[in-house]
Amino acid sequence: MQTIRTTLFGLTTYRGRMGHFSFIFHRLTGLGTLLFLTVHILDTATVYFFPSLYQHAIDIYRSTPFMIGEIVLVFCVIYHGVNGARIALFDLFAPQRWQASMQSKSAVITLVIAILLWLPAAFIMARSLLINNFGL
Amino acid sequence: MNETQTTRVILQLKESNAYEAVAWRWMRYSGLLLIPLAWGHVLIQDVLVGVHRIDLDYVAMRWAMLGWRVFDFLLLAFAFAHGMNGLRQVLNDYILNEKWRRATSWFLLGVWLVISLIGGLAIVGGVGQP
Repeated sequence: MQTIRTTLFGLTTYRGRMGHFSFIFHRLTGLGTLLFLTVHILDTATVYFFPSLYQHAIDIYRSTPFMIGEIVLVFCVIYHGVNGARIALFDLFAPQRWQASMQSKSAVITLVIAILLWLPAAFIMARSLLINNFGL
Repeated sequence: MNETQTTRVILQLKESNAYEAVAWRWMRYSGLLLIPLAWGHVLIQDVLVGVHRIDLDYVAMRWAMLGWRVFDFLLLAFAFAHGMNGLRQVLNDYILNEKWRRATSWFLLGVWLVISLIGGLAIVGGVGQP
């Protein structure tokens, strides 16, 4: 319990600030994506095992709550990817960039890049939602 | 280079062949590979095509091309292994008892194997008749 509390609320006391935020966010977006991925592997597998069920699965994905969830999911995948690239590239090629002063800045840049990449995708998906589910 | 605690740990992880050091490197290399794989998949299927144009025929059309089957197979293999190992690493931060850690790892390995097999069989088997 103590360890979970430290993860979630350490932000207020730990001086990592932005770094701690990106640590939590990286884990949440990763776990969220994994949850979806698990369901998605199984529903796609119906095309081989139970082809008649596939359309049923697709109908669920076409519903409004799932399409909104899809927009959130795309943000998770983009953020996890941008921040993951930062982690991988710093760790593999430039570990000195993990110094507190530099890494806080890169954590902010990561978030900004993720939002900028997500906005056009979110716009297109939101438009598709409005056209298909609300007849606009 | 100003050698801090962090850079010292990273240098050790890059040299070591201990299981967790290999897993640490695997997460970084597979993660970089997943950027084109997962982003490409999401961009095409979710953004450009959209779920309203996806059905059994669409999947059959895509999988008629061997290249897309290979793409999907690589995505499945790398994404799910990356994700399950990530879940294991997160849980290891909260499960401090060695016995429970081992039990969790074996459980996740089993789940990973079964779901990977189901997904892999579907890609190899292709779209069936409804």
